[in-house]
Amino acid sequence: MPIFKAPFNGYSVKFSPFYENRLAAATAQNFGILGNGRLHVLALPPTPGAPVAEIAAFDTADGVYDVAWSESHDSLLVAAVADGSVKLYDSALPPASNPLRSLHEHTREVQSVDYNPTRRDSFLSAAWDDTVKLWTVDRPASVRTFKEHAYCVYAAAWNPRHADVFASASGDCTARVWDVREPGSTMILPAHESEILSLDWNKYDDCVIATASVDKSIRVWDVRSHRVPVAVLNGHGYAVRKVKFSPHRGSLLASCSYDMTVCLWDYMVEDSLVGRYDHHTEFAVGVDMSVLVEGLLASTGWDELVYVWQHGTDPRAP
Amino acid sequence: MASNPQPPSSATPPPKPWERSGASSGPAPFKPPSAGSTSDVVEASGTARPGEIVASTDRTTAPNTNALGRPVPTRPWEQQSYGNNTYGGYNSSLNYGSGYGTGMYGGAGGMYGSSMYGNSMYRGGYGGLNGSSGLYGGGMYGGGFGGPMGGYGMGTGTGMGMGMGGPYGGQDPNNPYGEPSSPPGFWISFLRVMQGVVNFFGRISILIDQNTQAFHLFMTALLQLFDRSGMLYGELARFVFRLLGIRTKPRKVHPPGPDGRPLPGPGNPHAIQGYTEGPKAAPTGSWDNVWENDASR
Repeated sequence: MPIFKAPFNGYSVKFSPFYENRLAAATAQNFGILGNGRLHVLALPPTPGAPVAEIAAFDTADGVYDVAWSESHDSLLVAAVADGSVKLYDSALPPASNPLRSLHEHTREVQSVDYNPTRRDSFLSAAWDDTVKLWTVDRPASVRTFKEHAYCVYAAAWNPRHADVFASASGDCTARVWDVREPGSTMILPAHESEILSLDWNKYDDCVIATASVDKSIRVWDVRSHRVPVAVLNGHGYAVRKVKFSPHRGSLLASCSYDMTVCLWDYMVEDSLVGRYDHHTEFAVGVDMSVLVEGLLASTGWDELVYVWQHGTDPRAP
Repeated sequence: MASNPQPPSSATPPPKPWERSGASSGPAPFKPPSAGSTSDVVEASGTARPGEIVASTDRTTAPNTNALGRPVPTRPWEQQSYGNNTYGGYNSSLNYGSGYGTGMYGGAGGMYGSSMYGNSMYRGGYGGLNGSSGLYGGGMYGGGFGGPMGGYGMGTGTGMGMGMGGPYGGQDPNNPYGEPSSPPGFWISFLRVMQGVVNFFGRISILIDQNTQAFHLFMTALLQLFDRSGMLYGELARFVFRLLGIRTKPRKVHPPGPDGRPLPGPGNPHAIQGYTEGPKAAPTGSWDNVWENDASR
């Protein structure tokens, strides 16, 4: 299956919601600790075995930690940059006219961005300055700022069915559920004893959240009864960096970890670990599942490689 | 600048797989979605605060919302205790040795105490590096690491000190009462560099937060790399000094022998080096000269 070698260390990978053969990868130099970044827009080859084509690449002055595809324009991307800016790119335009926007409001590194999939006109950015910001594409400034977390916010994710609801994961060991119409968070979920690095909503049950934490576990929560987790998924050897629910099966989720593996889980069944891929040779920090092709996975890591493969096959196979 | 990105060919993505299925497993505790665009909805709710920039002082005003009441670690790049402590000495001297060891980072020191990594050579260096970054000090300087570690400590220790002593950066650190002895351009660039250093450790420490074992692997690999490349700690320190612009004395080549060749013997380890760098007195093509001073002997 296709493999793309990036010049920098991978940080995030996302499939396009418009084209099944297109994806974007966010990379950062020197493991994202110091140096530049680059955003790649990639096209998968029509025939297996052919190399991945790069449609566009955009350089930044600091590492790119995350990327999100617009749900309203097929070539528009939002990038989370480590210098605290959120940048909008149009991959159809030449690099000289990019970025379309550079939004500087966060005072620390931006770790995650997420585009609203239901209303399709806004996106969120989560940053190390403890805040989440809500932006719309037509405005040069954020619409509002959500500041309640007591430590870095590592992820923010929209509810897949409610256009006004999202959740955030933070290093203060809580996940919070927000409604953009409410002044404060609507729910505080003390989900782990350690920092929470990622979270995602179940696409088929809008009350279910999965959180991934430094304590090596993934926990699945029902926001209606959040005293105890619905499921605890153990199996990663180090902190779990990202978690992502399948767009096709309600109980399936993918995760990647500092133990360099990408795992697939079914939280409804007894033996929840349904797949384990150890193709990365460095920390695996980005994973995504295609919305358009069932079972198609992508992952990236600090080994500077972006893998795309079908679930059940070997990612390294040519 | 295209302030209004034109919608390309397709304005809506294909329907999501989950949109075709039914709703959730039960009634959701969310308010029904409002109609209109996101900005309209937020503005109608009265919660919109466009372009709000959260200052670091602003951020600490919501402790009541931390449901756990669990203390969160201090961020390495901002020392909130700095405003009300007594580190006046920062701007007047770079006495980071005692300053760091005792006060500021004592609280965080418990997390990565110096005893954690034992006392072997490697781990000593590890601790030293850790401590010198100022993140997890806790008396590591008191441990008395050798000279080479001083190199580490100096670079980063100074960085932290000066980074936070920013407002006082205009003064000569060795002369608090005098006039600024350097043009401000240098200090500004210096502070900028130091901000980079602080940023650097901020990002490393996020990684530490996220995975202590990963950081351990990282540092072990780093030390092994230095070790494998044959760089001794002394050389490493010299390298750091050179980066800092402090020149160490070049090694003296021992005086050559009577015929212009260096003297042989164990007391002169640089004999070969001195010989090969000197004028070629020996006839060419003789490899013996590499190994012995006098091939005929």
